[in-house]
Amino acid sequence: MQSLAADVDLATEQKFKRLTDQWRKETFLSSSSTDIVYHPAYLKIIGMGKIVLPLILRELEQSGGHWFLALSSITDENPVNPDDAGKIKKMKDAWIQWGKQNHYL
Amino acid sequence: MGEAKPLSVSESETKLIGSVLEFQFPNLVNCPYEIKSEQTDEYNCVAWAAGDTESWWWPIESDTAFWPKDIPRILDKRYFIEAFKTLDYEECGDNFEFEIGFEKVALYLNEGNVPTHMARQTEIGIWTSKLGQGWDIVHNILDGLAGAQYGEPRLALRRPINK
Repeated sequence: MQSLAADVDLATEQKFKRLTDQWRKETFLSSSSTDIVYHPAYLKIIGMGKIVLPLILRELEQSGGHWFLALSSITDENPVNPDDAGKIKKMKDAWIQWGKQNHYL
Repeated sequence: MGEAKPLSVSESETKLIGSVLEFQFPNLVNCPYEIKSEQTDEYNCVAWAAGDTESWWWPIESDTAFWPKDIPRILDKRYFIEAFKTLDYEECGDNFEFEIGFEKVALYLNEGNVPTHMARQTEIGIWTSKLGQGWDIVHNILDGLAGAQYGEPRLALRRPINK
């Protein structure tokens, strides 16, 4: 089955990249999850909805980052084992697996 | 105590990272410091202060970060103190001085008294910090990271060594 990533248009991809670059640059040295997930660019990405799921998952897979709240907000799902809260590598692996199972990757 | 992955980049890359850090933390220009680890988003300063390199610690309500069980997930210094009490730390005011027989951590607060950063004192009395999703550094004084980004070191906690 073809990945749903193929459905994302160029304008959406460019907007996502611009917001992601801004978010990464402005939160890179912050330890505050609060600042990271309430950053205006991050909230705008969440507001873009399901269309950006393939882009978020690809970004997570390739470059990491704290995308977990965005993913669970958009999908209303959470594949992460509650005992793994904060274990970034395990959280990332769970979401990558979820993305593959749901054809977003 | 968790181990960080040692920095393995060229001298020119280290200088580039240094220039980024000195732009964000201008006090580092006059504070001896050294970049010690690779960049990673797998743990943060609070985890590093707690000796954990496998989790990201923060009192956020969503379960996207680790926070000690039964300690309220509220962004207030009281709950950072409570969190570190689970590791046998006790408050020691603003006494950031090196004390033989104790290890210390420092909590930075911004102008609104909101926690922003933590650092851990090493066995030789200097400090080590994980900078957000960036690198671990050692810095001779806490003021090296004081400023617009993290605010000021305002609260010290300590515990007896070997606990």
